[in-house]
Amino acid sequence: MAQVTFFHYIHKDTVLHRMDGRLKLLCMLILSVSSGFATDWWDYLVPLALAAAALIAARLPVIALLKDMRFFAVIILIVMVTNAFTIQGDPIPYFPIRYVSVQGAVTGLRFAGRLILIIMVCTVVTGTTSLLTFKNVIEWYLRPIPFVPEVRVATMINLTFVFIPVIFDSYTEMVNAQKSRCVELRKNPIKRMKFIVFPLLSRTLRRTDEIVYAMESRCYSEVRTRAVFRTNKADWLILAVCIAVLVFVIL
Amino acid sequence: MSVLEVKNLTHIFPDGKEAVKNISLQINDGEFVIIAGSNGSGKTVFIRHLNGLLAPTKGEVLIDGEPITKNIIKARRKIGLIFQDSDSQIVGQTVAEDVAFGPENLNLPVSEVDRIVQEVLETVGLSEMANQSPHTLSGGQKRKLAVAGVLAMKPDIIMFDEPFTGLDYPGVIQVLQQLVELHNAGHTIILVTHELEKVLAHADRLIIIHKGELAEDGDPEDVIYRAESYGVRMPLKNGERVGELTWLR
Amino acid sequence: MSENNVSEFNIRMMVYCALFTALIIIGGYISIPIPVGPVPVALADFFVMLAGLFLGFKYGLISTVLYIALGALGLPVFAGGKAGLAVIAGPTGGFLFGYLFMTVSIGLIAGKRKPSVVINLIALIAGNILLYAIGTPWLKFSTNISWTAALAAGLTPFIAGIVIKIAAASALGRVLLPRFKQNMVSASAQTETGKGV
Repeated sequence: MAQVTFFHYIHKDTVLHRMDGRLKLLCMLILSVSSGFATDWWDYLVPLALAAAALIAARLPVIALLKDMRFFAVIILIVMVTNAFTIQGDPIPYFPIRYVSVQGAVTGLRFAGRLILIIMVCTVVTGTTSLLTFKNVIEWYLRPIPFVPEVRVATMINLTFVFIPVIFDSYTEMVNAQKSRCVELRKNPIKRMKFIVFPLLSRTLRRTDEIVYAMESRCYSEVRTRAVFRTNKADWLILAVCIAVLVFVIL
Repeated sequence: MSVLEVKNLTHIFPDGKEAVKNISLQINDGEFVIIAGSNGSGKTVFIRHLNGLLAPTKGEVLIDGEPITKNIIKARRKIGLIFQDSDSQIVGQTVAEDVAFGPENLNLPVSEVDRIVQEVLETVGLSEMANQSPHTLSGGQKRKLAVAGVLAMKPDIIMFDEPFTGLDYPGVIQVLQQLVELHNAGHTIILVTHELEKVLAHADRLIIIHKGELAEDGDPEDVIYRAESYGVRMPLKNGERVGELTWLR
Repeated sequence: MSENNVSEFNIRMMVYCALFTALIIIGGYISIPIPVGPVPVALADFFVMLAGLFLGFKYGLISTVLYIALGALGLPVFAGGKAGLAVIAGPTGGFLFGYLFMTVSIGLIAGKRKPSVVINLIALIAGNILLYAIGTPWLKFSTNISWTAALAAGLTPFIAGIVIKIAAASALGRVLLPRFKQNMVSASAQTETGKGV
């Protein structure tokens, strides 16, 4: 159950799902960067159209994803409104509220456009990439960087996501156990926190020691088998399109 | 022939507590050995020396006549350990990925890793769940996965630490079946448990550890009558024989 | 093989870092209602505090950096399942950067010392002051709102929660830390005695 809420990866068989993770992450970066260079309306519309196309091509449940994005809607709204009101300029013709300036509204819209683009791109990437691929891609990109132990980082990422459902389950279990002992009746929030967090922490700390032993006994080593990536022609094509968009936006 | 030899093993914790006191024993190829003892008797500490997770204060452990300290990785490949809590043994996000953890640590080529994973999952009967999250498995299936992770290292000896804890009836049966299959396939089995009634019939040998010392070591038929004095429940009811002590039918 | 000992110690700390990263992520999903004020207490910052307290400055920082990096890559790990550069650059991004400073300061002050309630308390308070000293102005400047509004949105509602979290963290530290640190020491002592292994 915890899985559903924590990972947005949705298993499907589309071009984007099959795409080489390394290139996919690169595309995400390129599109995010392109949003920073945008100046006129086309610079916003073209990348946005591309992101929308990707969202459709990935066959992700758009409506459900939109619901998850409510938080961002609030941020976007706040930013648009504050910008519209605080930036000085000419009043908008025929608009009932006089303090709103054209320049303010435009800045607000641009900011919103940038944010929406980044959100859409991130959604596509996380929706089509499994955590395992993610881990391998990060390991691959970190490899040439000196002083960064890429295998260790990848293992930590992996372990983090192994821990989450396990801890979350013991948390749910703990809360239910405490409920049956009427912990809600306790008014003191410090006590309440102690009753939940204390057993949760002491249990997970003990378990962590066991995991260390388990990894040892399975010969954990940082010199280990490396993942193999496969790149298709379509992957390069997608990358080329993304680069073309970046060039278009910068020019 | 003895595959595993323990010589004068003593473990003293930094706080001065003697967890294991001067234990010596030999385990022969293909044996099914049960190590019993009450909680806190030092069983777990003891077996964690056998694959070098803990280092002895005194004494040594030899596999095939060689001290394990000479090549610890080789020793850990030869002796697989299945932990009491399967959750803390599982380090992959999918079943297949978890089984691959061991072979990947040995830096085997990808194709070889894939082959081993498939083969091992087939052996334990989890092939259909290869892409599931281990988290969604039942208790018995998790134990199977833990075994699969160990089998992927091709061990000769497999140690189980309290494998029945927290399992329901079908879970216990699954584990028992697996134990018997592994033993029949030629693996040496070392099983730590205090629940003798579930498994003793399958064992060739019963060892009792009491307060860190080797209290008994011998034929189950013989040792079982003295078990109770070391805090291990006497599983035989009137007229029952050791051969009947199993939940497998 | 002394190499093996070194690696065992690394494995231990590596796993602990991952554990605290997981705890911080989960903390963002757990909220406990408090009697004072309408804002529930999310526990992400609470576990950031604990990361500093338990792991010390270096490993606590690794754990927090990993958390932010995962979020930056687009994994839904920030409070309430949010993710992405948009959050980091957004109005609440200052609090994420504040987390880094909070772990470092708590880890440096409480550090490798023998666990002491007073020092832990000082560390926790200093860490929180840093967190809000970075988070609240960031909120103000990124949204162009007035200081009054920024304080009302980014500090005042949390004060009760902060006090409770500091109290709980220090209580937890008092109970769990001595054993935890002793475990760490005995684990390294064990590898020490196990020179032969």
